[in-house]
Amino acid sequence: MSVWSRLLPFSALTPVAAALICATAALPAWALDYKEPTMLQADVAAGKLPPVAQRLPATPLVEEMDGKTRQVGKSGGDARMLIGRARDVRMISVYGYSRLVGYDEKFELKPDILKSIDVEDDRVFTMHLRPGHKWSDGKPFTSEDFRYWWEDVTNNKDLSPAGPIVDLMIEGELPKVEIIDKETVRYSWSRRNPFFLQRLAGAAPLYIYRPAHYLKQFHAKYADKAALEAKAEEANARSWAELHNRLDTMGHFTNPDMPTLEPWNIATRPPAIRFVAVRNPYFHRVDPKGMQLPYWDRLIVNQADGKLIPAKSAAGEVDVQARNIAFNNFTFLKENEKRSAYRTFLWRTARGSQMALYPNLNANDPVWRELNRDVRFRRALSVAIDRQGINASLYFGLALESNNTVLPDSPLFKEVYQKAWTEFDTKLANKLLDEIGLTKRNPDGVRLLKDGRPLEIIVETSGEDTEQTDVLELIRDNWQKVGIKLFTKPSQREVLKNRIYAGETTMSIWYGLENGIPTAAMSPGELAPLLQDSMQWPKWGQFYETKGQSGEAPDMPAPKELFDLYGEWLNATNDQQRTEIWHKMLKTYTENEFSIGIVSGVPQPVVVGNAVRNVPEEGIYNFDPGAFFGVYRMSSFWFDR
Amino acid sequence: MLIMIPTLFVISALVFGIIKLPPGDFISNRIQELKSQGESGALDKIEFLRQQYGLDRPAIEQYAIWIGVWPKDGQFQGILQGDWGWSMEYNRPVGELVGDRLLLTFIVNFATILFVYVVSFPIGVYSAVRQYSIGDYSFTLLGYLGLATPNFLLALVLLYYSNVHFGLQIGGLFDEQYIDAPWSLAKIQNLMAHLLIPTIVIGTSGTAAMIRRLRANLLDELQKQYVVTGRAKGLPPLRLLIKYPIRMALNPFVAEIGAILRQAVSGSVIVSVVMNLPTSGPMLLAALESQDQYLAGSFLLFLALLTVVGVLISDLLLAVLDPRIRLEGGAQK
Amino acid sequence: MSDIRRNENIEHWVSRDPFDPYSVEKMSAGQEKYFMASQWQMMWWKFKRHRVAVISLAFLVTIYFVALIAELVAPYNLHSRDPRHIYAPPQAIHLFHDGEFVGPFVYGMRFKLNTQTLKREYQDDTNKIQKLRFFCQGDGYDFWGMIPSNLHLVCPAENGTLYLFGTDRLGRDILSRVIYGTRISLTVGLVGIAISFLIGITLGGISGYYGGWIDNVIQRLIELIKSLPELPLWMALSAALPVTWSPILVYFGITIILGLLDWPGLARAVRSKLLSLREEDFCTAAQLMGASPKRIIGRHLLPSFMSHLIASASLSIPSMILGETALSFLGLGLRPPITSWGVLLNEAQNINVVALYPWLMAPVIPVVLVVLAFNFLGDGLRDAADPYK
Repeated sequence: MSVWSRLLPFSALTPVAAALICATAALPAWALDYKEPTMLQADVAAGKLPPVAQRLPATPLVEEMDGKTRQVGKSGGDARMLIGRARDVRMISVYGYSRLVGYDEKFELKPDILKSIDVEDDRVFTMHLRPGHKWSDGKPFTSEDFRYWWEDVTNNKDLSPAGPIVDLMIEGELPKVEIIDKETVRYSWSRRNPFFLQRLAGAAPLYIYRPAHYLKQFHAKYADKAALEAKAEEANARSWAELHNRLDTMGHFTNPDMPTLEPWNIATRPPAIRFVAVRNPYFHRVDPKGMQLPYWDRLIVNQADGKLIPAKSAAGEVDVQARNIAFNNFTFLKENEKRSAYRTFLWRTARGSQMALYPNLNANDPVWRELNRDVRFRRALSVAIDRQGINASLYFGLALESNNTVLPDSPLFKEVYQKAWTEFDTKLANKLLDEIGLTKRNPDGVRLLKDGRPLEIIVETSGEDTEQTDVLELIRDNWQKVGIKLFTKPSQREVLKNRIYAGETTMSIWYGLENGIPTAAMSPGELAPLLQDSMQWPKWGQFYETKGQSGEAPDMPAPKELFDLYGEWLNATNDQQRTEIWHKMLKTYTENEFSIGIVSGVPQPVVVGNAVRNVPEEGIYNFDPGAFFGVYRMSSFWFDR
Repeated sequence: MLIMIPTLFVISALVFGIIKLPPGDFISNRIQELKSQGESGALDKIEFLRQQYGLDRPAIEQYAIWIGVWPKDGQFQGILQGDWGWSMEYNRPVGELVGDRLLLTFIVNFATILFVYVVSFPIGVYSAVRQYSIGDYSFTLLGYLGLATPNFLLALVLLYYSNVHFGLQIGGLFDEQYIDAPWSLAKIQNLMAHLLIPTIVIGTSGTAAMIRRLRANLLDELQKQYVVTGRAKGLPPLRLLIKYPIRMALNPFVAEIGAILRQAVSGSVIVSVVMNLPTSGPMLLAALESQDQYLAGSFLLFLALLTVVGVLISDLLLAVLDPRIRLEGGAQK
Repeated sequence: MSDIRRNENIEHWVSRDPFDPYSVEKMSAGQEKYFMASQWQMMWWKFKRHRVAVISLAFLVTIYFVALIAELVAPYNLHSRDPRHIYAPPQAIHLFHDGEFVGPFVYGMRFKLNTQTLKREYQDDTNKIQKLRFFCQGDGYDFWGMIPSNLHLVCPAENGTLYLFGTDRLGRDILSRVIYGTRISLTVGLVGIAISFLIGITLGGISGYYGGWIDNVIQRLIELIKSLPELPLWMALSAALPVTWSPILVYFGITIILGLLDWPGLARAVRSKLLSLREEDFCTAAQLMGASPKRIIGRHLLPSFMSHLIASASLSIPSMILGETALSFLGLGLRPPITSWGVLLNEAQNINVVALYPWLMAPVIPVVLVVLAFNFLGDGLRDAADPYK
């Protein structure tokens, strides 16, 4: 896998703003009188913990609170949440969102763990840590933790047999990592790396550091090899490397012994149904009055079957919950608000489209391939869909009828992208189909293909989402009016993806763009044939992913253009260039209807207990960027009671 | 009795084969998931895990390793050596994982079986004694109703309404504060309160079979000569009923332990998932779905073992209870 | 001795009437009917005593007939949607309006959207009377996928609605979907039973007749299958069904799985019956006359316990129907766009339905009724199976 395989939305900072980025603070940190969280006061008094001024770094991050949407709060309380699978306990690190650099609620990058970061030309990144910053067990967090990871983990043949992590490579080139002093680390490449900061700020980020003091005891270079092998055997690990890898659970929260920089650290050893995460006494953020964050003492994360989570939320068993709750639960949640003392906010999802149809341009069947590649066919399919009807039936008209493109929240939004070829016009669809030459029909009224077969489209789904099946039902009726017959074929995710790669499917349905709120600095990779995973051009994507070893080179002008534009974006030097490129790509993408979007901006209900504060009433619920609650800083949520 | 061992071997082979049937394996499932979440960072480590877990070897070899007849890296570590395997999902030994949940599973199943007996006995007896009466029809209707209603729906409905009207927590076996707490009287009481609905839901499907069995057996007995004689002798009807036929009719209660156990385990899987009980069901389901093959395989094997043992016990008990079986050397149906 | 030779006429009386062999045992007409009745006759009479079983039989025959003519009976097509009546509650059929007899009709519905909770609220509009039509033209359909027609037994009034079980999230009539689902759900049981019968009778027959080591092997096999917990086995087998199969193939795959897991019970019953019956005289007689084992089993032994088999079968069918619903619940069985009761119940398996739209759980009614009916029928058949008792 190469850098080409990245699909995540990334942000590169404009060089102007990137010269020096500092943490903004309402007050200089040294002017604050730090306050002790209530839960820790006893331990500090007993001498078990150093006082807060010593626990915080010399310059902690002061979280902004404007007093209107976010108020200074009170320390204390256990917040309850639900997850659908035990594996989701890693959500604690997503919600906690403590990153080297992170997005704020305006989706701008700001240093978080880092005190500041110097970016030169998008190539050289000099990171400045906060002096005095400590891990959750009190040991210092220094550049040694970065060195350990770079030299002893990712470049160690035993621990990373596949080599250093590919996310760091730019066209095959690894970064030069320099440890300048205890608080300064520099990563540099000879070419631009527009993805680096975004990966650091991701919901599931690139972790370029580890708690060296903890992991060294499991590393053959630092621990007694024989004793280590014995420990490994005890734990049923084949080698010390396996033991080390198993205990190295940055972000997954399956190892309570491993220290963290997140606001809460897991205290429960899996397997469990009830996970408790306890406040990190050395967390580096404070509120404007000097109180060390997080406000909440503990997170109680209970695991329940996904289908029960809406019911349990409505029964008042959660304090803040959005996961596993869908829009169709809204009415039910509203009706139980009084009984269970909570409020239901409606946030917006940020996918390019809630679901989109992907005609397979690499289909094996020559007739279908030709038809799928005919832009008139795709446009006809798109205008034949009654988006307003779908919106009304499934979303009470609250969603946005649109193509699979960027949302109005994005600075790149233009109405033409949203609306091109989405007006419900059966006559136009019929006209386009007739133009292509599909004028013959069978006795049922279904058009016939060139070779006489009826125009029956089999749309394959992963079978996971009833919403998709419902929409297909509605589309089926729409398309019947223009002489196209639609069949739904439920499958299984892996099987579906394999079939698509192999060119055996005609069309599939899946979620739309992952990042519907990009800025010009974020990668337009989703619009270009870069990934084997893309459902409309898997073979072209594979071609680039494997650097030409398998798949096919794109042989259509428009996708080629998209790919070339992407290359230009990678090499762009300023935001203006990037914006232009984005617009070109969006125009080509939407005009060609390479994926047929339906509706976007579907509301997401968020259950918030009546006593919870600092959760915005309106927000964007997205994984990356956004980290769900991450950009709204869960460390500053508090109980008003 | 010795035939049990080869039986178990065959069961283990069947079970393993069935688990390996769906395409892909645990690692490929994980990779798909990670890809769709955009976590490409962990992908490179995962492929190399495949080799560590031995998933790159042929299925037969994997099976042999699991059982313990083939060495893995020079060591025998399979079921025959007492090692139930390694769970890839949880990264813990299977034995630990199963053991954690075993106690609660037993409690739930035991409560269910108790419920089945308690409910089906009077209904079965009554409907045999008063065959074709209104009482017969209505009670059997009640008993069969449980069988007829799909468990999962009933569970959800009961959960919701008990929460709305009685404030019972939705699902789970314990309230928040008791989950990690040590055992105490309060915890036990809490457990019983939570057990009420699951027991009813799972148990009602078992009652039908039991009622029918009991009724059939009792009817047979009531036709026999000695009952007629007793009646002719002037024995009071109730005494007549209790003294002989009912003891005969207890036969199915004992004989069916194997089947009831099987039913309870199966039935409780779905209900446990729906009601979020921390028993073996949800774990097994998740393991089967993610193809965590050693966890699923060992679990299934363990359940099969339980059932076989249950059948064994019931055969033994039957032999003790019913001298005819001992003497004739064959169980009567 | 001399007494015997004495030829004196001892007073005795011999009737001159012709000899009537049945004079002693003269039966009344009723008794005659009873004793001369064939085995099937007697079974029927015994069966009739179990009144509920008779009702069940009638019910099942009706519902299978409905499955046959589903398209006719259902007021709507399987796929027809009404976007203006999403999540509409069930409508009641009235006969009287304002004290006057109008004939069967439903009231129209007034719709209001509660903007606070986004709840759709429907109320009966007593001004709009929508009379039902019978034997009318309604939604088009293809009868059994072959014959296009649009004749319906009952339809809503023109521009009216007839949602006796309410509608679902796309505005589809639940009653119609339940009726269409009948076809799939009921036949799953039949096909599964057929497979189970086939395997069970063959293996059970061989096992019971030959005995010895064949018996042993088959017995072990039965124990094997019986000792595996059902559900995980279902799951594992269904997960193994290739997902690329068309829905019809999946359907048959499911029935085969259900049948495969059910035959041990049947085989056991067959075997034990055979074991006892093969010692009977008539069997020995047939053997002595040189009949082949196949003929003996098929012609002589089987018919004598066919009734037991039928009773067993009728008790297995409900477990298959329930199995299908359980599999759909787990996402392993049939999936939309196929419509079966299991699929419908799976769609109803969420809290919104339980709390807000309980009418979506309506398919549980036919499931319960059919399962109950089969159970009672089986009980009745079992009671009747041995009429000589």
